[in-house]
Amino acid sequence: MTSAWLRHAGSAGVYLRTMAVFIGVWWLIALWTANPILLPTPPVVLDAAIGLARDLELFHHAGISLGRMVISITLASLLAVPLGLAMGLSPRFERIVDPTIEVLRPISGIAWIPLALFIFGIGNALPVFIMTYAAFFPIVLGTVLGVRTVDRRLIDAARTMGVPQRTIVTRVVIPAALPSLLVALRVGVALSWTAVVAAELIGAPSGLGYGVEWYRELLMTPQVMSFIAMIGVIGYICDAGVRWLNRHFTPWAAAR
Amino acid sequence: MARDSTWSRWGTGLVLPLVLLLTWEAIGAMLQSPRTPVPTKIIAAAGVLIASGDLPLAILQSLGRVFGGLMVAVAIALPLGLAMGNSRAVERNVDPVVETFRPIAAIAILPLAILWLGTGTAAAVMIVAYAAFFPLIVNTVAGAKNVHPTLLQAAATMGLSRFTIIRTVVIPAALPSIFVGLRIALAVGWTAIVAAELAVGAKAGGGGSGGIGQMMFIFYAYSIELNRIIVCMIAVGLIALVLDRGLRALMRASMPWVKS
Repeated sequence: MTSAWLRHAGSAGVYLRTMAVFIGVWWLIALWTANPILLPTPPVVLDAAIGLARDLELFHHAGISLGRMVISITLASLLAVPLGLAMGLSPRFERIVDPTIEVLRPISGIAWIPLALFIFGIGNALPVFIMTYAAFFPIVLGTVLGVRTVDRRLIDAARTMGVPQRTIVTRVVIPAALPSLLVALRVGVALSWTAVVAAELIGAPSGLGYGVEWYRELLMTPQVMSFIAMIGVIGYICDAGVRWLNRHFTPWAAAR
Repeated sequence: MARDSTWSRWGTGLVLPLVLLLTWEAIGAMLQSPRTPVPTKIIAAAGVLIASGDLPLAILQSLGRVFGGLMVAVAIALPLGLAMGNSRAVERNVDPVVETFRPIAAIAILPLAILWLGTGTAAAVMIVAYAAFFPLIVNTVAGAKNVHPTLLQAAATMGLSRFTIIRTVVIPAALPSIFVGLRIALAVGWTAIVAAELAVGAKAGGGGSGGIGQMMFIFYAYSIELNRIIVCMIAVGLIALVLDRGLRALMRASMPWVKS
């Protein structure tokens, strides 16, 4: 326990030291270029970040982006998990549906932005559509993979004991497929977070991506950097959240 | 269960796309609006765009930027990743910077790139380089760390210098992992370039720096040609597929001992 704490403290020290060097180098370059619009110094950026945080502007936009992501991930899961289960359980169904998915999958969510802009206009629907689309494919594929890797003997054993098909799915297939599903969820969350920034940058009147672009147009670089940092922070927290789900719900598979 | 021939397999796979396309065409015909995109008009639009040379040119411009950005990313990530994978001290000290910036999506950097480098090729190359850097470095480090210790010990026993060991033992052993990183980097780079060109088109008022993303934006914002937008989307998907399959084939051909 104590050694673990010491190790944590040690790596935190290394982290702070490295970031101090990084910030020092940034400060020197900023002083050398002496152009606050191109590259403001670290204290100016910190000041701007504190100002934006105090106005709650940063959190307001972060909340909007985060809300859109939660809605999109929920939608994508509701569509993708049942589809993936059906595809994994029935080879015939998979043969019918899979080519359509494989044809659409290489078209990135971002490539849908112009068409979606035309269909939905600027607003909430556009980023939600793009993010749902982006998260959909990894979740389908992860679910199919999860179902495919279920130990056949478990299903056979359940069947031998006369367990009905529905119960087999809910009690055997889903728990066994869960690790793979949660890994897929992690990819889906990462992809949809990237997509939300792109979608908001181009076609939404709010959200973190919008904030970045708004302040760029005003040439307020410290604010731009604050918003970019917030995008990183939320991205990191979301990833940590899904990893926590992984460990919490599938502790037997999270050891990797 | 009877084993299906390849043909009936293909047949089953084609049913759903065909049904969807026919439904789409039928709905489009019922709406009778000249702007509604339908499959037949999309094919015609594709013919026009390819024959005029606009689409191939835009694709080449975007691909050029992707490869430029990839080169920059490889030039930084490969040496750094090898150093991190071989020295615990380097890894401990550099990793915090990598991990701090990794969650920041490449697109989020775009406004800064525009501010620093303008709306031309340089900003687009920077975005691709940024996007490609992280999968490359993570996989290079992982590959360099996973070299079998026996190989390293054998090389050390034979009195090879550290540099020679890296060149003759570590790099060949890490190559499969580096290739995986390259594949991911190419995929995210291609997504990033489309996003960057779209955003530049949207934010710079269509100031023509070209590329397929910008082409799509012009069809959206200025000429409102949905058929052509869909042609571009299909092209984006096809290029992504060709890049991925091409790199995989290259990997299989150059490293036949690796199972993909």
